[in-house]
Amino acid sequence: MLLQLNNIFKWVQQGGQRVFLLKDINLEVEDGEFISIMGPSGSGKSTLLNVIGMLDTFDEGEYDFLNESVHTLKEKYRSNLYKEYIGFVFQSYHLLDELTVEENLEMPLLYKKVKGSERKALVADMLDRFNIVGKKDLFPTQLSGGQQQLVGVARALIGKPKLILADEPTGNLNSQQSEEIMELFQNLNKEDGVTIIQVTHSEKNAEYGSRILNLLDGRKI
Amino acid sequence: MLLNHLRLSFRNLWKNRLLSFLNLLGLSIGIGSVLTLMFSVYAFYIADNNIPEHEQIYYVKTHLTDGNDYMEAAYPLMDKIISTSPEVEAGTHLHGWGNVWLEVGDKEFQKETNYADPEFFEVFGLPFKHGNQSTALKEKYSIVLTDKVSQQLFGDTNPVGKSLIAADTLNLTITGVLEPISPYSSFRLGVLLPNTLLKDNPGFKRQINWGDSFSPIFLKLRPDVDIAQLESRIDQLVHNNYSDPSVISRMEIIPHSKMRMDAIPVVGIIIGGNIATSFFVLLLVLVNLLNLNTSTMFRRTKDIAIRKILGGSSKGVITQFCLENGILVLLSILISGGLFLGVLLPQLNDVFGADFGKINFSFTDDYLVVLGAITLGIAVTLVVGILPTLRFVSLPVSQGIKGKINSVKGNFFFKNAFIILQFSIAILFICIAIILNSQIGFMKKADLGFERENVIVGNIDLDYKNIDAANSSFKVLLDNLKANPYVTNVSTSQAIPSDYYFNYTNFYDANTDTDVRIRRSYTDQGYLKTLKIPLLEGRDFDSTLDNGEELSVIINRSAMEAFGWNSIEGKRLKWKNDDSKGHRIVGLMKDFHYQDLQNAVEPLVHYYNDEKDLAAHRYLSVRVMEGEEKGVQDIMTAAFAKIDSRKTFAQSFLTEKVSGQYRLIEGMLKTINIVALLTIFISCLGMFGLISFMAKRRIKEIGIRKVLGAGVLKIVVLLSKDYIILVSIGALIAFPIAWYMMNAWLGSFAYSIAIQWWMFVLSGLIALFITAFTLGIQAIKSATANPVQSLRTE
Repeated sequence: MLLQLNNIFKWVQQGGQRVFLLKDINLEVEDGEFISIMGPSGSGKSTLLNVIGMLDTFDEGEYDFLNESVHTLKEKYRSNLYKEYIGFVFQSYHLLDELTVEENLEMPLLYKKVKGSERKALVADMLDRFNIVGKKDLFPTQLSGGQQQLVGVARALIGKPKLILADEPTGNLNSQQSEEIMELFQNLNKEDGVTIIQVTHSEKNAEYGSRILNLLDGRKI
Repeated sequence: MLLNHLRLSFRNLWKNRLLSFLNLLGLSIGIGSVLTLMFSVYAFYIADNNIPEHEQIYYVKTHLTDGNDYMEAAYPLMDKIISTSPEVEAGTHLHGWGNVWLEVGDKEFQKETNYADPEFFEVFGLPFKHGNQSTALKEKYSIVLTDKVSQQLFGDTNPVGKSLIAADTLNLTITGVLEPISPYSSFRLGVLLPNTLLKDNPGFKRQINWGDSFSPIFLKLRPDVDIAQLESRIDQLVHNNYSDPSVISRMEIIPHSKMRMDAIPVVGIIIGGNIATSFFVLLLVLVNLLNLNTSTMFRRTKDIAIRKILGGSSKGVITQFCLENGILVLLSILISGGLFLGVLLPQLNDVFGADFGKINFSFTDDYLVVLGAITLGIAVTLVVGILPTLRFVSLPVSQGIKGKINSVKGNFFFKNAFIILQFSIAILFICIAIILNSQIGFMKKADLGFERENVIVGNIDLDYKNIDAANSSFKVLLDNLKANPYVTNVSTSQAIPSDYYFNYTNFYDANTDTDVRIRRSYTDQGYLKTLKIPLLEGRDFDSTLDNGEELSVIINRSAMEAFGWNSIEGKRLKWKNDDSKGHRIVGLMKDFHYQDLQNAVEPLVHYYNDEKDLAAHRYLSVRVMEGEEKGVQDIMTAAFAKIDSRKTFAQSFLTEKVSGQYRLIEGMLKTINIVALLTIFISCLGMFGLISFMAKRRIKEIGIRKVLGAGVLKIVVLLSKDYIILVSIGALIAFPIAWYMMNAWLGSFAYSIAIQWWMFVLSGLIALFITAFTLGIQAIKSATANPVQSLRTE
C-alpha cells in the first residue's frame, strides 16, 4: 500500500464557528492506481490533494505514507519525504518564469543534490521523451499553455516519483491539449507504474483513471 | 549551485531593471556621500597619527575671569612647570611670528614659519628624513624644513648642511628635513626655526614676561598623569608668579588632539554633523532597500513556494536573494567610489579645503577606508537580503503557491514606519537648509553699521624691499587718489571689517572700578569717513593737529557702555596702575560690525597712525563712485607695480571681504543642501518603487473600481492618499526636531533670525510636492490603464 488516510478532519475558524474543509476522510491508495477526485467548487478537492502532498496540514486523523506516519513527522522529514516520492503538477503550471525550460527541469535535481553529469543526462532524457528538445532554451512565457504543462509534467517526473499529484492539470488548456496531457498520464500510469491522483472537473478526464472519488462539502460520497 | 544562483540573480535584476536601476542609483549616491562624509571624519581623526605618543601631548589654556580664554599662556610659565612637575617629560613653545623670507641661490620664497624650542622634537616626535632630531634646533642659526619645502628647493637631494639666507641678513644652516606630514594634519608647517632666533626680535622679547599670555605651550606628559593635580599646580604657579593673577580664573591642560576643535568651534559641529548625517543617510538607504526588497518578496511568494515544493530549502532562497542584493551593493560601491573620487571629494575640498587643508585619498594609505566600505557593503547586503525574506520563507507552502499574502499584513506597519522615518529625515534636512539659508541671507544683508558698497580694498602689507622708497611712492598714490574726481574717500588702516586682529588690552577706569578688555586696531583719519561709520560723539582723528594725535583714541559704543559711562566727555583710556595720563578719548563711533554676525560687537578702540606709514597699515580702502571702480583699480595696480616688494598687490571689494566671512558656513549650507536633496531623492526612489509595486498589486482592485465607475482622479487619490498622510506625519515628527536643533544652533550666533512658521510650512510643502509628483506619475499610469486588460490577467 502506498498511502492510507484515516478519519482526516481539517477545519478553519470562521466567525467563532468551525468550518470543515475535510470531514472524516478515509482513503487507501495502492501502488499503480490512477485516482480522479471530483466534486463541485469548494468541496475540498484541492485541500485533500494538498494534504496528501504534505503541503498542508490537517487537524485530526492519521496519515501513513509508505508506512511512515506523516502526522507525527517533523516538518523537515516530511519535506524530505515528498521531495523523494511525490511530484506535483498544477493547473497554472507554476513554472519559474525566470528559468529556461531546461533549467526548470533541472531545479528539483539541484535540490536533490544530483551530480552535474547525471543531472544533464536526466534532463536531456526528459526533454527527449517529451519532444521539447527544441524548446529547452526558451522561457515559460514563450511557450503555449499545453507546452508549459508538458514541462510541468516533465518536471514532476524527473525526480522519478512514486506518486504524481495533479491539481486540475488541464484546467487552463484547450481540448486537444487536454487530451494529450491525459494520454500522457495514462501512459505513465500503465507503462511506468506511476501512481497518479488528479483533481478534475471533467467527467471525460476522470474516465482516464481507474477509480473516481467524489467529494461534497469536505465529505466523501 | 552558486553559478545557478548567480545566473538567476542577474536575470532577476534585469527583469526588474527599473527597480534595480533605482536601487543602484539610490545606493550609489547614498554610499558615495556616506563615504565622503566619513572619509572627512576619518581624515580629521588620523591627521596627527604620525606623531608618536600623541595621546601624551597637551597644550596649556588660559581661562580669564571675564569668561574669555586663550590657547596661550605667559612665556616663562613653561620653564616653571617643567622645573616643578616631574610628570612632564618635555615642553616646547611654538610661535608663529610672521612668515620669514628665505633665499636659496637666486630663489626667494616665503613659507609657513614657526619657532620652537630644541625640545620640540621631544614633544612632537615628528620623524626625520634627514638630520638628527635631538640636535636639529639646538644651534641658533639652524632651520628644519618639511619634506615638501625641501622637495621644492632641493629636489630629491639631501640638503642637510646647506645654508640659506633668512630675512636678507641671517645665514641659516639646514639641520634637518621632516618626513612628509599628512596634508590634513593639524600642523601647518613649512619651516621650523629655533626660538633663540626669535628672541632677537625686540617685539617678541618685550612680551616675554609674566603679564602677556601670548605663548603657545605644549607639554608631553608621562602616561597616566593625574591631570587635575597638574592643573592645580599650574594654577598655583600662575598665582605665585603672574604679574596680575587676578584676571586669570584657571589654567587648563587639554590633549593636543582636541586642539583643532577648540580653536575653531565649528569644527566640532562639522565633524558631529558629518557623523550624524552619514548615519542618517545610511539608515535611509538601508530602510529604502528594505522597503523595496520587502515589496519584491511579495511578488516572490509564489516562487518560494514552488521552490519548496520542488525540494528547495529556505536557505537557498535567502542565499539567492542576498546574492542579488550583493551584486547591487557591490556595483554601487564601485560607482560610489568613482563618485567619491571624481566628484564629491573635489567638492568637499572646494568647500572646506581652505580652512582645514585639502584631503587626498590614496589607496596605499587609506586602504582602511576601502576595507570599511566593503565591510559596510557586506553588512548592508546581509541585512537587506535576509530581513525581508524571513517572514516569507516561513509562509505555508499551500498559501504561498496561491500567491496569498494576507498573513503578512503586520508588515505594513513597518513599511509605513519606514516611510515616515525616511521622510522625517528628509524634511529635517530641508528645514535645516531653509533656516540656515535664511540665517546666512540675514547675515549678509544685515545693516552692519557701515556702508560696504563701492569700497575697493587693497592689501598693502607687501614686504617692501625699500620701505622709504615705498612710502614716498605711496604718498604720491594717495595724493593722486584724493585728487581723482571719482574717489570720495581714501583711508589706510591696520584692519578692515572682517579682518581685525585679535589684539586685546585691558583698560581700567578708576572711577567706576571697572576693568574692560578692549580689542585694538590702528587707523588713519579717513577710516570712518571712507567706510561711513557714524560718529556718535566727539570728533574723528585729525591729521592736521600735531599735538600728539597718537595719544588720541576713538572707541565704540560697547566700550563706553562696558565702562559704565554715558558720555566720553573728558574720558581717558588707561591701564591699571598706570601713572601716565593715558589716551584721550576724542570720539565715539557706532557699534559697527567689524567681525561676522556670529560674534557680538566687542569693545573696540582705534589708535591713530599716519596714513602714509605703510609699515603700520595693512589695508588701503578707497570709496569710489558707482561704476568708476575699474579706472581707480587700474591706477592703484599701476602705482604698486612700480613699488619694489616681495608680494604682489592684490585688491578686492569690501563687500567680498564681508561676504567671505561666511564662506565656511556657506560651505556647510552647500553640504546640507546636497544632503537634503539626496535624502528626498532617495526617499522618493523608494516611494516610486513602492507605489509602482502597490499599483501592480492593486491592479485588479483598480480594474474593478473602474468598471464600477470610478474616475481617474478618484483612483489617483486612492493610490496616493496614504502616502501623502505618511509624509505629513513625517513632517510633524521632523518639525520639532528641526526647531530644537536649529534653535540651539542659532543660539551660537550673536545675531540670529527668529525661526518662522513659514520655514516649516515651506519645507513640508517641498517634500509634499516632490512626493505628489513621484506618486502622480505612477498613479496616473495605473489609473488610466484599461480595466478589461487588468481584469483578464486573473
